[in-house]
Amino acid sequence: MSYYFAIVGTQDNPLFEYEFGTSKQGGDGQPRFSEQSRHLNQLILHSSLDVVEEVQWTSGQLYMKVVDKFFNNYISCFVTAGNVKFLLLHQPTTATAASASTAGITSTTRSSTSIGANPTSPQTEEAIKSFMTEVYENYVKAIMSPFYRTNMEIKSPVFRARVAAAGRKYL
Amino acid sequence: MQPLEDGGPPIAESVPSLPMAASTTRLPKQRHSLAVSSSSDSHHPLAQSDISLPYRGLERRSNPSAASLFASTLTPPGSRSASPAPSVGARFASPSRTLSGSVFGGAGGFNKASLLDTGAADNPGDPLNLILKSFVPHIAVHGSPDVDDMIREKGFSGGLWELLRPFGERVQGKVTIRDSNGGARSWEDFSVRFTRFGAGIEDPEPLSGSMRTPSPATSTSNGSQGGSYFGGPQTRPSLITQVEAVVNRHLSYAEDAYMGLTRPATPTRQGLDTDAASPYYALYLRRLLSGIPLATHESFAHPVASVIAISSRNPSPIDALRKLYLETSQGERRLPVWVDGDFLRYYVLIHDEEQSDITKSMALFDQMKRNFGLHCHLLRIRSSQSAETDDDSIPLPRSDWMTPAEELADIERSESEEEEDFEDPTRYIFESDATAIRTFIREMVTQSVVPTMERNVSVWNDQVASRRRGISGRIMSLSKRWTTFGVGGSSSSRSSSTPAGGASANNNYDALGFYRPDTSEAIMRKLADYAFMLRDWKLAMSTYDLLRGDFQNDKAWKYHAAASEMAALSLLIMPQSMSSKNRLENITQMLDQAFYSYHTRCNSAYGVVRCVILAVELLRLRGGSGNIDEAVRWGTRLLESRLMGQVGDALLKERMAICYASKQGAGSQAWGSRRRKSALWSVLGAEAWISQHKYIQAQRCLNEARKMYSLLPGEQGVQNFAQASDFMAYLNDQVKEGLRVNYSRRLDMSGVGGGEEEEEDEEEDDDRTIMGGSLTQRDEFQQQQQMDDEESVETVDQTQKKSRRTSLIINTGTGGGGGMGGMETAPLTPLMPAKLPSVEDNEDYITSKDGFG
Repeated sequence: MSYYFAIVGTQDNPLFEYEFGTSKQGGDGQPRFSEQSRHLNQLILHSSLDVVEEVQWTSGQLYMKVVDKFFNNYISCFVTAGNVKFLLLHQPTTATAASASTAGITSTTRSSTSIGANPTSPQTEEAIKSFMTEVYENYVKAIMSPFYRTNMEIKSPVFRARVAAAGRKYL
Repeated sequence: MQPLEDGGPPIAESVPSLPMAASTTRLPKQRHSLAVSSSSDSHHPLAQSDISLPYRGLERRSNPSAASLFASTLTPPGSRSASPAPSVGARFASPSRTLSGSVFGGAGGFNKASLLDTGAADNPGDPLNLILKSFVPHIAVHGSPDVDDMIREKGFSGGLWELLRPFGERVQGKVTIRDSNGGARSWEDFSVRFTRFGAGIEDPEPLSGSMRTPSPATSTSNGSQGGSYFGGPQTRPSLITQVEAVVNRHLSYAEDAYMGLTRPATPTRQGLDTDAASPYYALYLRRLLSGIPLATHESFAHPVASVIAISSRNPSPIDALRKLYLETSQGERRLPVWVDGDFLRYYVLIHDEEQSDITKSMALFDQMKRNFGLHCHLLRIRSSQSAETDDDSIPLPRSDWMTPAEELADIERSESEEEEDFEDPTRYIFESDATAIRTFIREMVTQSVVPTMERNVSVWNDQVASRRRGISGRIMSLSKRWTTFGVGGSSSSRSSSTPAGGASANNNYDALGFYRPDTSEAIMRKLADYAFMLRDWKLAMSTYDLLRGDFQNDKAWKYHAAASEMAALSLLIMPQSMSSKNRLENITQMLDQAFYSYHTRCNSAYGVVRCVILAVELLRLRGGSGNIDEAVRWGTRLLESRLMGQVGDALLKERMAICYASKQGAGSQAWGSRRRKSALWSVLGAEAWISQHKYIQAQRCLNEARKMYSLLPGEQGVQNFAQASDFMAYLNDQVKEGLRVNYSRRLDMSGVGGGEEEEEDEEEDDDRTIMGGSLTQRDEFQQQQQMDDEESVETVDQTQKKSRRTSLIINTGTGGGGGMGGMETAPLTPLMPAKLPSVEDNEDYITSKDGFG
C-alpha cells in the first residue's frame, strides 16, 4: 500500500504534499509508486476535487471516506473548516505488481481485513479517519502561526514530521 | 465548434470553404442533383460526395483519388452546418436536463422523453444516429448471373448489391411505422441494409460437450457459403482488429497529409468537440457496427427480405426466378438452419433501357405479378456506364456502412497499386437511374418490407410472446423448468419445434447449441429484434427482458448476453417512466450480465466492446450526474479489460473526456461539473496518442485539457502541482517535436528545408498568430485580395494583437501553444507547394479559393 497525501487550498493549489508507504504488516514506510505514476497521482488527486466538491454538500461529516476511484487508486477526503481539503490517495500494493486489469478484482475480492489489502473496508476507513484527524489538529496548529496567510504553502518541517508520524502510527 | 474566446467569428465558419476550393467547379451541378433528390439536407448520402479532398501533393501518395477513400474522416466539421448540432448544444446547456440525480438538482422533465426526441438522433455521426442506422432491416440481394453482368457493365464489379447499397442508407421520404399498440409514427431517416445473400455468416460456437456431433448448420456454412464471398469469417482476423486497422489508416493518412501542409508551429487550437463525435470515433463506431455478423445469438443480420432479381436479357425469366427462389430456400447456397428461411421474397425485373424492348418487359412483368403476387417491381435502368463528364451523371457515394474488411481491402489496394493504375473508387451513375432506384427502394420498403415486419411482429406478439407474458405463461415456463411433465403440456404450442435429437432434453438449446428458428425462444428473439428495428422500444425491451430469463435457465450464454445488451439499450432509448435510480440499477444489472456473459463465458470481445461503447454513448446522452458517472465507469471497465487495441483505447479515453465535459455544473462555481476529470482523461488521451505518434490528435486532446483547466474557478488547473505540470509541458513538447520532425522530414524530401530551420524558430510565434488571425478574418482578406504588401502587413498586425490578447486568456495552462490556426483533425487546406509558408504564402492560399470561383 502506498499513500500520497496532499493538502489542497481553495484555488486548487497544493499546500503540502507527502508520499509514504504503509508501516503495518512489516511495511517499511516507503512509497512504492513507480516513477511514471508520480505525475499521474497528482492529476488523479486533482481530478477527484470534482467529486469532492459535489460530495461535500451531502455529508455532514468533515471526513468523507473514499470519494473517488480511478482504476486502482482510491481517494479519501477530509474537508477542513476553511474549505481546504486533505486528500489521501491510496494504492493497494497488488496494483503495482499485477496488471491493472486484474488488480481491481483481486484487491476487492481478497477477504483480508488488513488495512493494506482492502481500501474500502471499515478498518481502513477508520484508520484513515484517525490519520486525518491527527493531521487536522497539527494543521490547525501550524496555520495558527502569525506569519501564515491563506493558501500559503506549509513548509514547516515540524508539521511534516508530525504528518509522517501520524502516517506511521495509523497506516 | 469552439468559438474564439474574444467573441470573434467562430473559426469553423471559415474553415469548410477551404477543401471545397478546387471542387467548386463541380459544385453547382451537385447542388442541382441534390435538389432533385428530394432532400436538401446536407447529410443525405449523396451530399457527401462533395466533401472530398480536392488536391493533395504528397510524395508518398501523390494520388489524388486515394483521398476519396479517406473522405469520411476528412470531413471538416463545418460542413455539418445544416445539421442541428447547435440546438443539441443548447439543449445540453439547459439546467433542467443536466442536473438530475445530483445534489444540485432533481430529475428534469427532459429525462422522461425518449432519446429519439432529442436532436441527437438527427445528427449524422452522432452515436445515437449510428445506433439507429446500424440496427436496421437487412435485405439480402440475390441476382441471376445476367443481372450481375449487366451491372458490371455499368462499372459495379460487386453486382446489384453494390449498386443498391448506398441508396438503402436513406430511404427517400418518410416511412410510417405502426407500433404494437397501433400508433403510427413517421420517420424521416429510415434505412435498410443491403447485403449479399449468404455473406458474413458467423458459425455458432462449438459446444463444449464432447458428445455432440457437428450440426448440419456448421458444415453447411463451413463449406460453400462462408468461403464463397469473404473467405469465411472464421479465417478472418477478429472484427475489432480490422476496425482498429481501418481507423489507424485514416489517422495515419491525416497525419501524413497534415505534415506536408503546415508548419509545426501552427497546429490546431481546436479542442475536442463535445457536441459531435470526432470523425475517427464515429468511424470506429460505424465500422464496429457495420460488420454485424449473421450469427445465431441475434437476428439483426438475418435477412428480413430478399431481393430476387433477373434482368430483361434473361431468355427464360420465370424459370430463372424460380431457380433463384429455390436457391434461397434449399440447396447449396441456402442460409444455415438457424436462420428462419421464411423471409419475404421480393422479385425484381431489371429492364435494360438501352438494349431491351419495353413492351416485352412490361408483358413479362405482368406475368411476374400474376405468378408471384404483389411483391414485384420493374426497375428501369440504363446499362451503359456513366462517366463523370456525362451531362446527367451524379457521383454515387461510397457506402457509409462498408464492413471494415472491405474498406481495408480498398485502402490496401490503393497503396499497393501504382499511382497511374489506381482507379478512382468513385462511381458515377445516371440521374435517371438514381431516381429509379430510389423509387424502387422506397416502394419496396414502405409497401412490402415494413408491412411484413409489422405483421410478423403482431402475429408473434399475439401467438408467442403474450402467451408467455400472462400468468399461464409463467406457470408454463416454471413447469417446463422444473418437471419433465411440462414438456408434454407445452409442446402443443411448439409441437413441431422439438429438435430432432432433443426429445429427452427439456429445453430447446442443449441439443444443438442454438435455437432452431421455429422454437419459441428464437421467434421471440426475432420479435424483439424486429421491434427494435421498427423502433418500438417498449415492446423490444419487454421481450428482451423475458428472453433474458429463458436464456439464463437454458444456460445459452451468448444469447443471454445479447438479450441483456439489447434490453439495456432499448431501456436507455425508450421514454423513461421509472425513477432514475431504479432504472439505473436495472441498466447496470443488465449491462453487468451482458459484460460477464460476453467476456467471461463466451470470450466474445466484439460483443463486449459493442455493448459497452453503445451503453456509454446512450448513458452520456441521458445526461445527469448518475448517468455520466456510470458511463465513465463502464468505459473504465472496458479499458481495464484491454479488449481494444491501442487506437480504440486512445479514442475511448478521448471519449471519456467528452463524457465528463458534457456534464454541466450548477451556479457560477459550476458545482457538480466534472471539468477536472475531463481534463485528466484528455491528458491520458494525449499521452496515448503520442505513444502512437498521432500528434494531431494528441494536440487536440492537450488543447482540450488546457481549456478545461482554464474554465475552473481558480483558472490554474494543475499547474501548481509540480510533476503534473511538468508532465503537461512534456507532452506539449512531444507534440511540438513530433510535428516538427515530420515537417522537416517533408522539407528534406521536397528539397527545400535545411537552412531555414532557424528562421522557423524565430518566426514561430508570429506565424502562429498570423494563422490564427488570418483564418478568422478571411472574409476581410478575400475582399482585399488585390491589396499591396504594406496594407497586408497592417492587417496582420491587427490580427496579431487580437490573438495575442486571446492567448492570454486561453493560455493559463502550461506554456506553449498560443493563438493558433483553426486547423482541424485533418488537413482542410489544399497542399501548398513545399516552401515555408510566410505571410505571402498565407495570402496565397487564402485567396486561392476565389481563384476557383
